[in-house]
Amino acid sequence: MSDFDPGRRRFLGHLGLAGLGALGASSFLSACASSASGPTTGKGSGAVTIQSNLSSPQAKEAMEKLIANFNAQGKGSASLNTIASETFRTQLPTYLTSANPPDLYTWYAGSVANDYASKNLLLDVSDVWKSMGDYPQSLRTLSTEASGKQIFMPMNNYWWGFFYRKSNFAKWGVQEPKTWTEFLALCETLKSKGVPPIGIGLGDTPWVASAWFDYLNIRINGAPFHRELLAGKQRFDDPKVKAVFTRWREALPYFDPKGKAYPFQEATTALLAGKTGMFLIGTFFADAAPKDALGDLDFFRFPIIDPAVPLAEEAPTDGFFASAKTANPAGTKALLTYLSGVEAQEAYVKASSGIVLPANPKAKASDSPLVVKGKAMLDEAKELTQFFNRDSSDALQPTADTALTKFLDKPDQIDAILREWQAGAEKVFKG
Amino acid sequence: MNKLRTGSFHAGMILLSLLWLGPVLWVVVMSTRSFDDIAAHGVGSLPQSFTLDTYRQAWTDGGELRALINSMLVTVPSVALSLCLAAMAAFALSRFRIPGRRTMLLLMLAGNLLPPQILLIPVSKFSELTGLYDTLWALITVQVGFGLGFYTFVLHGFMRDLPGEIQEAATIDGAGTGQIFTRIMLPLTRPALAALGALSFTWIFNDLLWAITVLRTDDNMPVTPALLGLQGQFVSSWNVIAAGTVIAAVPTVAVFLRFQRHFVGGLALGAVK
Repeated sequence: MSDFDPGRRRFLGHLGLAGLGALGASSFLSACASSASGPTTGKGSGAVTIQSNLSSPQAKEAMEKLIANFNAQGKGSASLNTIASETFRTQLPTYLTSANPPDLYTWYAGSVANDYASKNLLLDVSDVWKSMGDYPQSLRTLSTEASGKQIFMPMNNYWWGFFYRKSNFAKWGVQEPKTWTEFLALCETLKSKGVPPIGIGLGDTPWVASAWFDYLNIRINGAPFHRELLAGKQRFDDPKVKAVFTRWREALPYFDPKGKAYPFQEATTALLAGKTGMFLIGTFFADAAPKDALGDLDFFRFPIIDPAVPLAEEAPTDGFFASAKTANPAGTKALLTYLSGVEAQEAYVKASSGIVLPANPKAKASDSPLVVKGKAMLDEAKELTQFFNRDSSDALQPTADTALTKFLDKPDQIDAILREWQAGAEKVFKG
Repeated sequence: MNKLRTGSFHAGMILLSLLWLGPVLWVVVMSTRSFDDIAAHGVGSLPQSFTLDTYRQAWTDGGELRALINSMLVTVPSVALSLCLAAMAAFALSRFRIPGRRTMLLLMLAGNLLPPQILLIPVSKFSELTGLYDTLWALITVQVGFGLGFYTFVLHGFMRDLPGEIQEAATIDGAGTGQIFTRIMLPLTRPALAALGALSFTWIFNDLLWAITVLRTDDNMPVTPALLGLQGQFVSSWNVIAAGTVIAAVPTVAVFLRFQRHFVGGLALGAVK
């Protein structure tokens, strides 16, 4: 089984690449960033190469179409290079620090991009943003690094929520909850009907638990505190963080006990088969659903706990950044300008078939009820967060995985777990 | 009593081989299921659909043809080159009194004990410095370099045990070193070469680590990273990946079947002195 395991983190272990990933991310990056001085086979004004991790068939095809369109316009030429997403994740630092790097990369907005920017690896794309006046301020801020330059171009984002099957909720005679109290009542009802209320999939995909931490934290302590915590400016053993886990414990008895064993893809199967009631997950899970089940899916926002806290939602943003060493900055920026346009964004959303929202506010998203509802939810939010690893770093994510998995097993030991988490996080921030 | 023993032996062996073949069968079955079937019932359930379209998808959409060609372009020269070099090195080390030959041999063995992971970054940087990065030449060089030590070691053990009288007789007949090597030693080493050839073919063909370390263009990727490329960021079509895996297994199985005789014989080479 394990060789065909879809878990992305597990895969790292299999390849023995974890070491490279860790090395590449920290020491290697700083050590070799300046020293690499290979032969510069200057590409001059040749084709712009795009290193893409969008390896799923639909997304890959969507990207191929976009690039073909761009090339047909005659404003420049580009070539697409699709790499398995798991390979891409571990090799990205190597790509960026190599002597003759690819020009453009698909990646995530937020602190992960800013990290690279702080090492002077990313191209300043403020010029591209000049033509992106329509974009909301939130996305502009997200794409801006510490010194005030834009280094990222957002392509699309998606949302997280409690997904469920409409037919099952009707069968059980239950409604979407709005508040935490209603949510717990709903869980109680489902449990009395013999259905494990909350599905989760932590085997091989332990990062899924971070969504619970993120959401409880932004609902109880607010998004600014959450960001500061993830940036190392607050402590994990703070009483405010403990309050998050006190809330979480109220919901713990309703978690599907099997969820610790299987990955989220199988948790999706369980949800669709009516073996769990609902599932806090990002929209990407729908790719693991059979087509005939898609119309039956609906979701509700993570219940409100403290109405005084400004509403925030998780909306991971995907997009592009460019290498600072690109031999063809003009061509790269021309391509970015094209990708930020209405036409390209709509074409991508249409072809990719995934449930994503275009970043360009003028581009139309798909008009399925699910997407309309998701867009409305994000529009209503005062603040958007990305996700645990995107708001912090891939290095901090394992500390969260360890702490949250332990908490789910032994909720009594929360004080010790938080102390350990803080110690683990300090090591990451120092390193 | 004897019958009972044979019976239970066979029953046990059948169970054991089923255990061995189970995962393979599972992959083959999975490759014929539709995505919706897998998504609705999970990867472990019994098949409720049958399709061969997965093979078409893996072949055309997954770019497996290009990847197989790349794999062959890397594997065949790598095997040939490394065996050729290893045979020459083994010949020299085993038949001539070269000073420091023991040290050299131990050094080659020591290289094999090193986990390849710690060399990933040096190899990647070095291939950049030499301008080979992102070419198939880089992969061939790396494969030859890493295989050489082990192949030399094995061939050295084999050649050392060939009777010295043959070499002496050839010398008396007026054969030079080169002739002894090509006309006496190589034919005699054939079983070992065939076994190593099959073994190294499998290793190099199935390698993933070096391919993704020194290559970054998808058109250059051999078949293993191409298979990995069939995975999506979050969700993967396991049926298509299974089909791709079956296709990718064909060349190695073919080579193994062809060299099976030598393969088993070759494995026992080091067993008896």
